[in-house]
Amino acid sequence: MHMHKFEKIWLIFGIGALLVFLTVLGVSAFYLGNQPPSCLATINPEKVDTTAPFNEPGLKKVEGKDWDYELVYVAQAFAYTPGDIEVPLGAKVKVIATTKDVIHGFEVAGTNINMMLEPGYISEFVTTFDKAGEYLILCNEYCGSGHHMMASKIKVVK
Amino acid sequence: MAKTELNRKTKTEIEDSSSLKGTLASVFLLGFFLIVTWVSVYFLFLNRF
Repeated sequence: MHMHKFEKIWLIFGIGALLVFLTVLGVSAFYLGNQPPSCLATINPEKVDTTAPFNEPGLKKVEGKDWDYELVYVAQAFAYTPGDIEVPLGAKVKVIATTKDVIHGFEVAGTNINMMLEPGYISEFVTTFDKAGEYLILCNEYCGSGHHMMASKIKVVK
Repeated sequence: MAKTELNRKTKTEIEDSSSLKGTLASVFLLGFFLIVTWVSVYFLFLNRF
C-alpha cells in the first residue's frame, strides 16, 4: 500500500500521543490507585443519620490510616452539615460525603475536590490541604429552588 | 480504410501534483494545541490540592 510520507508522520504522531495519554491514565489508575470519588461504597439514603460515619459529621482525627483526618459531610436540600469548618494546614484528609435526598454537588472551589453526591452512594476524596486560605464549598448539581443558596466553607489554618 | 489505433502506444503521465504540506502543518498545529491544553490542565491538577 502506498502511503504518503507525511501521512506516516502524522499517523505515528497521533498514535504516539494516544499511547502517552493512555499510559498516563493507566499509571494513575492502576499504580497510583486513583479512582472515581464514588467507587462501590453504598449506603441506605434513609438511614444516613444513624449510619457511621455520617451520624457524626465533621472533622475527626484518625489513627493508623493513610490519612490523618476524616472530614465527613452530609448534604441535603439545601445545606451541608457541618457548615463552616477549620482544617489544619498540611493535614492529609479524607473527605467523605453523601446525600440524604437528591443529587447534590460537592465542589471546593479552586481545588481538585469536586464530587457528585448521589443518594445511596458514598463519595470520597483524599487530599493534603497544603495551601492556607478560605475555600468555598458549592453545590454544582441543580438540586431545587434553593440550589444557589447551598454553600459551606472550609478554612485551612496554621 | 480507417486505421485502427489499437497498436498505438500512448503514454499517459499521471503526475501527483497534490501537496500535503498544508495538511501536515494543520495536523501538527492541531496536535500541538491538544498537547499544550492537555499538559496545562494536567499541571493545573497537580498544583491544586
